[in-house]
Amino acid sequence: MPEVPISPAAVIELLTAEHILEPQEPLTPESDLFSMGLDSMAMMQLLLQIEERFRLTINPAEMTRERFATASALAGFLGEKRRLAA
Amino acid sequence: MSILPATTVDFFLAGLEAFMRRSGQGTHWGVTVLRLEGKPDAQTLTQGWEEIHAQHPMLGARLKRQWLGWRWVWETRGPIKAPAICWHPAQALPPDEAVIHERLLGRSSVGALTSPLWMEVFPWGADGGHVILLTWRHALLDGTGVNLLLEKLATGACGAGPPVPAMPRRESMARVYKRAKPLTDRLHEMTSKGCLSAWMKGMPMGGGPEYRLIELSAEESAKATARLRTLCGDFMQMPFYAAVAARALRLLHEQRGWKSPEIHLHLPIQLRGRSRELIFGNHMGAMPLFLEAGALGSLDLAVAHVLEKYRESMREGRQQASEALTTLAAHLPLGAFIPVVRWTNMGQICSLFHSHTGSFLPGRAEFAGAAVQNICTIPSVCAPPGLGIFVSDFAGQMTVTLAWREGCVTPAEITAMERQIRTDLTGIADP
Repeated sequence: MPEVPISPAAVIELLTAEHILEPQEPLTPESDLFSMGLDSMAMMQLLLQIEERFRLTINPAEMTRERFATASALAGFLGEKRRLAA
Repeated sequence: MSILPATTVDFFLAGLEAFMRRSGQGTHWGVTVLRLEGKPDAQTLTQGWEEIHAQHPMLGARLKRQWLGWRWVWETRGPIKAPAICWHPAQALPPDEAVIHERLLGRSSVGALTSPLWMEVFPWGADGGHVILLTWRHALLDGTGVNLLLEKLATGACGAGPPVPAMPRRESMARVYKRAKPLTDRLHEMTSKGCLSAWMKGMPMGGGPEYRLIELSAEESAKATARLRTLCGDFMQMPFYAAVAARALRLLHEQRGWKSPEIHLHLPIQLRGRSRELIFGNHMGAMPLFLEAGALGSLDLAVAHVLEKYRESMREGRQQASEALTTLAAHLPLGAFIPVVRWTNMGQICSLFHSHTGSFLPGRAEFAGAAVQNICTIPSVCAPPGLGIFVSDFAGQMTVTLAWREGCVTPAEITAMERQIRTDLTGIADP
């Protein structure tokens, strides 16, 4: 199965399509995900979805505030992780 | 008279309280202790206290079954009058354990508490220290609700009051049953393996509520936070604290020579989309985790194991299954709920009560104008399971509350668990 491309738009699509976040206003690549309700429960859902959709396993110790602050930052982190895994 | 929706956890806690009353364990109370460096402003406290009572008719609500639809709802009769805040005379020492024991039994120095929420101020010592005890009935308020309540009372400005929550949508019982089935199968599997708590058949149930506070220093708390981040990153606090709690129970079982292949944690999980203005009523759902006692040998292994089980529970939709199972159970009479759980679970309810309620008053250093030293919460727990391990923090300072029923755990066992908890949290071996 071909790899799903990683981009801020793909991260936003994952967050909304899987109901991980249900924001009142549209998510942008720079929206603050924590103020949109990204709590620990949502974070675990997000981890599972990242594994399923992007085929990347994230160690919880890698989950820092900076990496998960915005869709753009998260896409950058996941893209780098995929590049290193290749 | 108005009707407000009840969650399945409201039913669970009311069922637990009915069980406690019938087994001579009193009512389910919690006490939140605020240690202040100065005198709180009486006007700010009174204003916040009265506004909270005026805005939240839930404080006078009772859980009842609605004939139409046979579901549980909160019935309210409008706002209740706020009981006066009790200012005690100054004394040499802060209120001792006997005072907190009395509140955990739902009593004050003059008799039974007549309100689900009770506030007392104790001035003490020569330096102007004050302790506030907030006693609350757990059936109406949970750990998250206490945090929200303190945030309101801290400034005395309580805002516009709560919105009216929507009634949950109805579902066919066949669909609910289907969602609950994988969890019931898992519970049966666990029961057949034998899963113990701090209580076993033949042990007393009616002992009084006991507690011990493990207050980490600022330095110890910083070490614990660093350890948490190394193992779980910036977000996954729950697996870290759950691993510490489960390991403490495993130690207790080992010391007693008990064999419990699994440890069943019933973890509170924040409900999504609930308004922060809804202070009363319960904010949590439940996530059942079934841990293998053999995988809890060290903290690192235990955290990895809890994380794996957490993932498994999320993948299998166990929170939704737990919600569905409680929805089915809510058709039982309130007093029959816990007896049925125990009947299907070899006398147990779960292995341990555990929660991590997060930070009190995030970003604040004062409460009603007085600098805060520390805040912690002490809930009473019933037997079974006979033991609860709860973690909270204020301004980065961690407190672990060990709560148990007299006769279920000995002081020596509590001391052994305290040692291991301190070592697990800070990484410093106890001398």
